[in-house]
Amino acid sequence: MIKNSRKKIKDGIHFTTILNECQKTNTIIVHFVTKLSSETAALNAIVPYVLSNSSDKYRTLTELSKKLSSLYGGTLKGSASKIGDSQVITLMAGCINDRYTFDGEKITEELAKILVECITEPFLEDGRFSESDFLLKKQELLDDIDSEINDKSVFAFKRASMTVYKDEPCAVSAKGERIEAEKITALSAYEQYKKLISEAQIEITFVGSEVCENAEKYLADAFSSIERNYAGDNYSDFSPIKNEPVNVTEHYDVTQSKMVIAFKSDYKNSSAMKVMNAIFGGTPFSKLFVNVRERLSLCYTCSSRYNDKKGVLMVKSGVENVNIQKAQDEIMNQLKVMQNGDFTDDDIKEAALDMINSIKGVNDGARSITEWYFQQSYSGKKLSPEDEIENIKAVTREDIIEAANSLTLDTVYVLTGKEESSNDK
Amino acid sequence: MINKEMISNDRTGEKYVRIKHPSGLDIYVWKMDNYNTTHALFGTKYGSINAKFKTKNDTNFVTVPNGIAHFLEHKLFENEDCDVFSLYAKTGASANAYTSFDRTCYLFTCTMNVYESLEILLKFVQEPYFTEATVQKEQGIIGQEIRMYDDDANWRVFFNMLQALYHNHPVKIDIAGTTESIAQINADLLYKCYYTFYNLHNMVLSIAGNVDVDKVLEVCDKHLKPNENIELETAFEYEPDTVCKHEITQKLEIATPIFNIGFKAKPEDGMERLKAEIETNFVLSLLADESSDFYKKLYDDGLINSTFSSEVFSGDGYFCSIFGGESRNPIVVRDRIIAEIERCKKDGLDEERFNIIKKAYYGDLIRSLNNAEAVATAMLNNGMEKLTVFDNIEAVAACTFEDVTVRLEKQFNTENVAISIVEPINSKED
Repeated sequence: MIKNSRKKIKDGIHFTTILNECQKTNTIIVHFVTKLSSETAALNAIVPYVLSNSSDKYRTLTELSKKLSSLYGGTLKGSASKIGDSQVITLMAGCINDRYTFDGEKITEELAKILVECITEPFLEDGRFSESDFLLKKQELLDDIDSEINDKSVFAFKRASMTVYKDEPCAVSAKGERIEAEKITALSAYEQYKKLISEAQIEITFVGSEVCENAEKYLADAFSSIERNYAGDNYSDFSPIKNEPVNVTEHYDVTQSKMVIAFKSDYKNSSAMKVMNAIFGGTPFSKLFVNVRERLSLCYTCSSRYNDKKGVLMVKSGVENVNIQKAQDEIMNQLKVMQNGDFTDDDIKEAALDMINSIKGVNDGARSITEWYFQQSYSGKKLSPEDEIENIKAVTREDIIEAANSLTLDTVYVLTGKEESSNDK
Repeated sequence: MINKEMISNDRTGEKYVRIKHPSGLDIYVWKMDNYNTTHALFGTKYGSINAKFKTKNDTNFVTVPNGIAHFLEHKLFENEDCDVFSLYAKTGASANAYTSFDRTCYLFTCTMNVYESLEILLKFVQEPYFTEATVQKEQGIIGQEIRMYDDDANWRVFFNMLQALYHNHPVKIDIAGTTESIAQINADLLYKCYYTFYNLHNMVLSIAGNVDVDKVLEVCDKHLKPNENIELETAFEYEPDTVCKHEITQKLEIATPIFNIGFKAKPEDGMERLKAEIETNFVLSLLADESSDFYKKLYDDGLINSTFSSEVFSGDGYFCSIFGGESRNPIVVRDRIIAEIERCKKDGLDEERFNIIKKAYYGDLIRSLNNAEAVATAMLNNGMEKLTVFDNIEAVAACTFEDVTVRLEKQFNTENVAISIVEPINSKED
């Protein structure tokens, strides 16, 4: 049985406790939520690199890692991601439940202290992040931005998003752009860190099998003593639909092309749109998978996903250069099929079943359950996984057809080979 | 009479059940309290490396084209009248399959209709259906998959390293085979390999999560078709101890060069392999994990970034230790690693850190029991080697500093090293 409570501990700071008896580990996740912008994205993104590397007490990664290892392989990780038009900076720590330690050591409490120290007492020199460490972290951020190209499918999605969300915060990458990252200094990063701590919306989540009072109290006290100048809640707008669909083709040295097609909608019933997405391209028995991949062998991958914060549905595919047009035609054709209501009641039932199956599993994982309630609070909702299941069950055929018909083609993005390599086969 | 055995462990207070089913199949079931999720795997000890084999019905060893294990995986997902995904669509389970070097697994995850999904799993894996037409269509799809991996720098850097390390062992060949080798595959070959390797004596069923063992057995009794033991043997070409090449470089559209550095060692089997893997992992952590001085030095000198990691890669007839990551100067990283290995052989490893790392490994193993997928996978992997999940935990607990010191000498011959580098196309040499 899941127990879940969220309480406010200061301006824009909330503490959520999620208890689930099946957990053999304790996990503490701290999210800083702030508006995405091209000026600050890279500055914010570097903060978790620095904070997860050291603290005033453990001044090098070597010392910090040694300490974490001694807590039975405790983990502490930082990351930058995005949700809707917001950037999310996350620090996450985890360790096994105290009851599994050899001598009943209180490792969860210790881990909570280390996490708080990394966040609130970073290693500083001359009133800024330690210069030599900072430069290495900056290089790492630059490397990470540069290496986004290594996975062509992720890269194509990122490039496509820049056109899909043109002039919106959401167009900015979660790690920011290289040109902005290059300008960061140890001082500017430290200033941004202070701003983040003071102004961002902060969500702290503790997930474990039972209450760990000392750790929770320590976390709550530490965060409620932060001086705040809260900038206000974050929210996202639906992405405006372009007057004319935009086509973009970019050339890179690749063997297989990637195509991303974006559709937009102002349809508000997100459960219905999600069911529509599941039938259309969200499962391995969807229209896209069965027709574009299996029946016509046009793509190795072809699937869709719906961003409910932005009202955007994107189809991703990996396709031979010569089949790009055929694949696009067939994807458009399958959307028409959805819009015409040419799907069975079994299709609806199966799509819903697939979604319900995965929603029921959310409770079993510390990260998935944290992510669930984080998404809820971000959207100003309080739905439990069980509530969402009821919403999905209530979706009708008419809702799905309406959802499909609300979609308008916005962008077709193709990442393909260079001229000389595109004529093979 | 069904042979049901409880496998338990005092250290963790955990337990699961092993069943030797009359059909020939080994079945493992782990009931995880308070979980919604169930994860099931039906696997055969048959992967990309098993292209040479014989049964009691063959006089000599038979060699078949590369890529059949993976091809079979794709084909089994297609029944005579429909796609397997559409069967699971009725139960809501999320299904998948994978082929690795030494096994092929069919799996599902679900939070409801467990036994209905299990029926589907057992049935389709035992019902092969191939025709020349469906084989031909699949050649197209797999051809796409192979080409997709051609662009994948992490995949390429790894296989190039295996090409450099191994002269003959088929681990050096892509799991999907090559465009040429899959062109030779036909329905007859698929049936031949299917009936050789998908014999229940060569397979394991593993289920963990919200599940009841008696109900699992009920489904198994109904759907498992008893198999005769055909005394399957697999073989490999002779593989020298030395590496084939010391260095291999390729260019792709990436940003920073990436590398894999492999140290080739003698392969082991069963419990000996488990011990070798654990002890070698200790050596790798002691040499170069984030809490080592060596890591800090490489990091501070700008030679590595946080993508740097190491792992043991081992299986039937192969064993190597791999360091990988991004670097602007991979050759220097390799030379530093070799020097550090030689230094540690001379000066000894750090015993205090050994004890800390041991706690961390224990913690990692407990953590892995948190999730139905990891538990089911661990039961299957160990089961295929006739080991248990707890052998792993106990072997970590029993491992001594002396064992690890001996392992460093034994497993890290710095002559047997190979480096694979994938460089950006626009690197300065152009």
